[in-house]
Amino acid sequence: MAEVYLKDIAHGRSGDKGDTSNVCVFAREPRYYDAIAREVTVEHVREHFGDMVKGEIIRYDVPSLNGFNFVMKHALGGGATHSLRLDSLGKSIGSAFMRMKVKVDG
Amino acid sequence: MPQLILSTYLFVAVSQAGLRYAMGVNMDKVIIGGGQGFWGDSNDAAIHMVRNSNINYVACDYLAELTLSIMERQKLKNPQTGYAKDFVGLMKEIGKIAYEKNIRIITNAGGMNITSAVEDVSKTLKKQGVSEGYKIGYVLGDDITENIPKMFEEGFDFKNMDDIGDFSEIKNKILNANVYYGHEPIVECLEQGANTIVTGRVADSALFLAPILHELKWKEDDYNNLARGIMAGHLLECGGQGAGGNYQYDWRRVPRMDELGFPIAEITNDDLYITKAPDCGGIICEQSCKEQFLYEVHDPANYITPDVNVDISQATIAQAGDNRVKVDNIKGNPRPDRLKCNIGYHAGYKVATYLSFAWPDAYEKAQYAADILMKKMKRKGLKAEEIHISYVGLNALHLGAADMNPELVKNMNEVVLRIAIRTLTKDEAYKIIPEISPLQLNGPPGASFFGGRAKVQEVIGLWPTLIPRDAVKLTSHILEVK
Repeated sequence: MAEVYLKDIAHGRSGDKGDTSNVCVFAREPRYYDAIAREVTVEHVREHFGDMVKGEIIRYDVPSLNGFNFVMKHALGGGATHSLRLDSLGKSIGSAFMRMKVKVDG
Repeated sequence: MPQLILSTYLFVAVSQAGLRYAMGVNMDKVIIGGGQGFWGDSNDAAIHMVRNSNINYVACDYLAELTLSIMERQKLKNPQTGYAKDFVGLMKEIGKIAYEKNIRIITNAGGMNITSAVEDVSKTLKKQGVSEGYKIGYVLGDDITENIPKMFEEGFDFKNMDDIGDFSEIKNKILNANVYYGHEPIVECLEQGANTIVTGRVADSALFLAPILHELKWKEDDYNNLARGIMAGHLLECGGQGAGGNYQYDWRRVPRMDELGFPIAEITNDDLYITKAPDCGGIICEQSCKEQFLYEVHDPANYITPDVNVDISQATIAQAGDNRVKVDNIKGNPRPDRLKCNIGYHAGYKVATYLSFAWPDAYEKAQYAADILMKKMKRKGLKAEEIHISYVGLNALHLGAADMNPELVKNMNEVVLRIAIRTLTKDEAYKIIPEISPLQLNGPPGASFFGGRAKVQEVIGLWPTLIPRDAVKLTSHILEVK
């Protein structure tokens, strides 16, 4: 098993609704879907983001798109203009997500 | 069902477009473009699309979650403002040609001042000589700010959808309350032959569903079709982001990003294709559509809109040609009983300040400067609700997920200290501002101040809640340009 960045086997985008951030994640090739399903668990995401995400994290699997949708609550430092972060809408949460290290076959 | 009051139609002359509809010409395919992704977006793609493609409709989304609160603030300062003036600029470019090509335009640019927006659009069209028979439809009623105190008195609790706080804490600080409504009042305007329709806080995707449903004569309980119309809108409502902008998969290979086209949907009773105008940049492929498809969706099996609950948990997206993608297997379920209402409220002040440092030891110097500033602020009795310190170039975006490898950190060429504070009063926020630039002479070496003194900004909080449909009275209107 080799360890790679999630970005090497997946792509996606982050969006915001209030203080909730969602990150959709798609396998770059169908063969990576199972590795993502196995590696990118809610627990792994929570550990990866630590204090950045203060609320619930939910993973929805969408196999017909070889993808997943992660919904992370209280993840944007308060959301709207409450947030003091430079990236208050979490545009870069998508790439922060892709920094996660995952194990793949070969 | 919101009460639709089809109110006074000021004029009844039938325009060319109106005549076509009055004669009952059926469309079996609707071609609709997304012309704007947000307030402040570029007009280039919408102009290109109107000039060079065979669209029947273009819908322009200007409203993000916070936009209406910002517009309300503008309107309080100047009652003639409070809408997306950018749309008027766009109409200068496309109003006439769209009319000549019989392309109808739908937008939520009306924001918090729909009637002023309509007047402004009307004036602009008149100047271009497109007055005869031109109809501007508009929808009023999404702004329920004035009803909030009465509803609260009558026992409505405005429970926060995110389960935080008690409404009584914010009820005296409300700026605006706007309801996300569905396609119906826009369809009413279309039925009356409106060439352009201006709304406030309709749900973004309803700007697109309305004309599709209208043309294809879909019924209100045709849930699968309603859901397909909503997802067509969803793929278009963020403009360039649906055509290779903000594209993680392979951004380097997006052709001609300087001429990025925006997406276009072609929809029939059987098929939904996404494509773009000829001769523009951008990309429409499986991956670009996927990234937008789940963007800001929560549960894919239950994506709630005012029109229909969408189920895309089994959907498929497949390449169907050059810059052409086919989307299938979208299902729908009955719409929710209640509508979402976003309440904007005053929530204090904030300020962000910056100071840059260069090699050697850029990060260490920036940290030292932050320490100095915090000591000074403590001595000056700063009362902050929250203080956020980050380092642009190192961890201001990825925060705790950033790579803090000591080797990398030690050798940084430059870094910008960013200190942001949130306070209850404007004066408190102001306290830090005059302390930043003196550190060029009074702090660690090589500090460089840029951009002028920081400005205190108002913090606007958002309170999302659900309200009964019958609490909203929407009305459709027509103004004939003459």
